[in-house]
Amino acid sequence: MSQVIESDVCIIGGGISAAMVAERLAERTEASITVVEAGGRTASLEERTATRARMLAYGENPYPNDHIPGQTGTGEMYQSMVLGGAAMHWGGAVPRYSPEDFRVRSLYGVGYDWPISFDDLEPYYQEAEERMGVAGEQGPPEYDPRSKPYPMPPLPLSWNLERMREWTDAAGIPFWTQPWARNTEPWQGRNVCQRCDTCAVCPTGAKYTPDFAFDRLLAAARIRLQDRTLIRSLNLASGSDRIESATGFHQDAPDQPLEFRARTFVLAAGHSWSSHLLLLSANSRFPNGLANSTDNVGRYMTGHWFASGFIELPMRLYPGIFPNNSLLSHRFASPGPLDRYLRHDIRLWESTVGREARLATDDGRVLWGDEVMADWRARTRSTATARIRSYYDVIPTPDSRLTLDPGMRNAHGDPMPRIDYAAGQATLDLEPHTHETLLGRFDELARAAGGRMMSTRASRLFEHPGGGCRMGDDPATSVVDRWGRTHDHENLFVVGAPTIVSSGCANGTLTFCALSLMAAEEIAKG
Amino acid sequence: MAESRRTFLKQSAATVAVVSLPSCAPTAAESPDALVPATLRAVGEAVLPEELGADGRERAVAAFELWSEGLEPVAEMAHPYLVPETVFTGPDPRPGWAAQLSGLDIESGKRFAASFGEVGVPERRRILEPHVRRAGPDFGRPENAAHIAVALAAHFFASPIATDLCYGRAIAKQQCRGLAGAGDEPAPLPGAAS
Repeated sequence: MSQVIESDVCIIGGGISAAMVAERLAERTEASITVVEAGGRTASLEERTATRARMLAYGENPYPNDHIPGQTGTGEMYQSMVLGGAAMHWGGAVPRYSPEDFRVRSLYGVGYDWPISFDDLEPYYQEAEERMGVAGEQGPPEYDPRSKPYPMPPLPLSWNLERMREWTDAAGIPFWTQPWARNTEPWQGRNVCQRCDTCAVCPTGAKYTPDFAFDRLLAAARIRLQDRTLIRSLNLASGSDRIESATGFHQDAPDQPLEFRARTFVLAAGHSWSSHLLLLSANSRFPNGLANSTDNVGRYMTGHWFASGFIELPMRLYPGIFPNNSLLSHRFASPGPLDRYLRHDIRLWESTVGREARLATDDGRVLWGDEVMADWRARTRSTATARIRSYYDVIPTPDSRLTLDPGMRNAHGDPMPRIDYAAGQATLDLEPHTHETLLGRFDELARAAGGRMMSTRASRLFEHPGGGCRMGDDPATSVVDRWGRTHDHENLFVVGAPTIVSSGCANGTLTFCALSLMAAEEIAKG
Repeated sequence: MAESRRTFLKQSAATVAVVSLPSCAPTAAESPDALVPATLRAVGEAVLPEELGADGRERAVAAFELWSEGLEPVAEMAHPYLVPETVFTGPDPRPGWAAQLSGLDIESGKRFAASFGEVGVPERRRILEPHVRRAGPDFGRPENAAHIAVALAAHFFASPIATDLCYGRAIAKQQCRGLAGAGDEPAPLPGAAS
C-alpha cells in the first residue's frame, strides 16, 4: 500500500532549475508545491568553513554525502544527487547565450534554430540574474545585449587582471569581466564575496547555491520538500495521456512505496536524469518511454567543446590575488557574416602553470630549500602565465544519445543511463578550421603582449551538457514545446538543461535557469 | 625589519595550522605509526629554505605534523568535472613515512656511523637525494608523496606563506580577504627583497 502525497505541482529534482520554478510558482500562485529530491542535504553554510579547510588541505569533497552510491551512469555526467544539485559545486559563472545561438540555421546554415529568440528569453535572463544575484560588467552592447543593468556591480578586477586587460586592449579585442552569481553587495540576506579563492565551496554564502532558495521557501512554508526520495516511474492516468502520479521510495524505507499525485508534474532532474526517468517510465501506451512517441527522448545530447592554452607574458603578476575572476570576450560569438562557421568565446585567467615551486630543474638537478626558492623567484620575477580558453558550439545530432543501460543497474534493478555523446558532421568537418583559427587567435593575443604560447590543448569533452528533451514547435523533432510542456502529456513539463536545442559557446546555467522561469510562467496558468 | 618579517612568518604559519585543523584521525601520540619528531625536523633542515630561520622551519614542520595527523585515508575527493564515478584519495601514507624516517636513521648509521639528525645537512641530502630525484620535477600534493622528505617540502611550498615569500609580497592566497584591495599591487613583505 502506497503512501500518497498530493499537491498542485510536483517538481521532481532539487537542483537549480527546480529552485527557479519553485520560487516563481510560490511567489506568483497559491499552488501547493512538492519538491522531490533523490538526494539529501549536504554541508550547510555553517559547515562549509570546515569542509573548505579540508578541501584545501587534503583535496576532499567539500560536500559530503552529495551522491547516492550505485545511482550513477556511464558517460560525461554530474555525480551530484543532492538538494541543490550540481550547482552546489559550481563556480557561479553566468554569461548569457548570444542572440545568434538561437538562429544558427537561419544565419549560418548549420545546426538548428530554437523555437524562441534571444529577445523572448531576455526577460527571464534578467529575472534569473535577480533571483540569484549576479554581479556583472556591461560589455559592449553589440556583444552583451541586455535590457536592464546587472543586479550588482561587477567583481573588481584584480591587479593581475588589470594588467591583463591592458594587454588585451592593446590586442584590439574587447574583454570585460565575467558575470558571476556572487555578491558584491548584500543580496537576499547573503554575504558579500570575501575573495576566499575557493568558489567551489563558498564559506561566506556570497555565491548563489539553490539550497538558499529552498531554505527560504521552507521557512515560509511554501513548499513541501521530500528529500532522499528516488522517483522510479511517472504513471499515466487511466484512459488518458495525462500524468497521474510519480512513484518512488524514501532511501530509509525502500520497501514502502510513495506515490506523489499532482495536477502538474515538472521534471527538473538535469540533463541526464530527466531523459532517464522518461525512458524508465515506459508503459503499454508509450512503450519507448513517456513523452517519446516520436523517439526524441535522450537524443540531441549536446555541450560545447574547447581549445585552451597557456601564454607566457613578459610581465610580473602575483597569482593568488583573485584567481576566481576572469576576463571574458563574446566578440567572436557574434562574428557577423562567416565564410566558414565558427563561433566562440574567449576567457582569460591568471595562472600558476610553469611558475610553481619545483623539486628539480629541467635537466634533472635536485633543488634543496633555498635553491627551490631561488629557482621559483627566477621564474616569476619578470614573467607570468595566463590561461586562455575558448568554448565553441557543437552542432547537435540525433545520434548523440542517452539510453538505458541494461548492463548497469542500481540496487533496485533499474537500468542506469548511458550517454554516448556525438557531434554533428558539420562540427567534425569544421574541426581543423576551428582549431587552426582558435590557436591562431591565441597566438596573436600572446604576441600582442610580447609573449608566447607555452602549450595548447583541444578538448572534446561536452561541457555544460544539455539536451535529451529538446524544445521545438514540431513534435516530430522535439520532446517539449517552447514552454517546456511535453508534446505527449499536457500536464508534464521538462525544464532546464534537457530542453536546450544547442549549447552555444558560453556556460549554460543561466540559460537553463531562464528557460525554467519561462516554463514556470506557463505552468502558473494551471 | 627582520623582526617584523618573523612576525609575519609566525602569523602565516598559524593560519596554515588553522586551515588544517578539522580532523577525525588519531593524534600522532596515539598512533603506532607516529612520525619521529627529531628525525622529521632533521629532514626539515635538509629540504626547507634556510631563510625561514630555525623558528620558521620549526613552524613549517609543526604545521606538517598537524596536517598529517588530520589525514583521512581513502577519503572521497572533490568530484572531477563531469566524471560520474567517485574518486578517493589513497591509503594512509603515514606508516610508510614513519618507516622511511626509521630507515633514514639506519642508513645514516651505516654510512656515517651517526643518526640522521647527527650528521650535517650535506650528508642528509646525500641520503635523501635518490628519493627526491625519483619524485621530481614537480612536488605534487603532499599526501601523494612517495617519500616523507617530498611530502614535507610539498606541504610547505604549497602554502600561502611560501608563495608570499617567493614574491616578497603579501598575496595571502586562499585567505578570505574581502574585495577591497583586490585591484592593488600586493604590499611588499616587511624586509623582503621583491
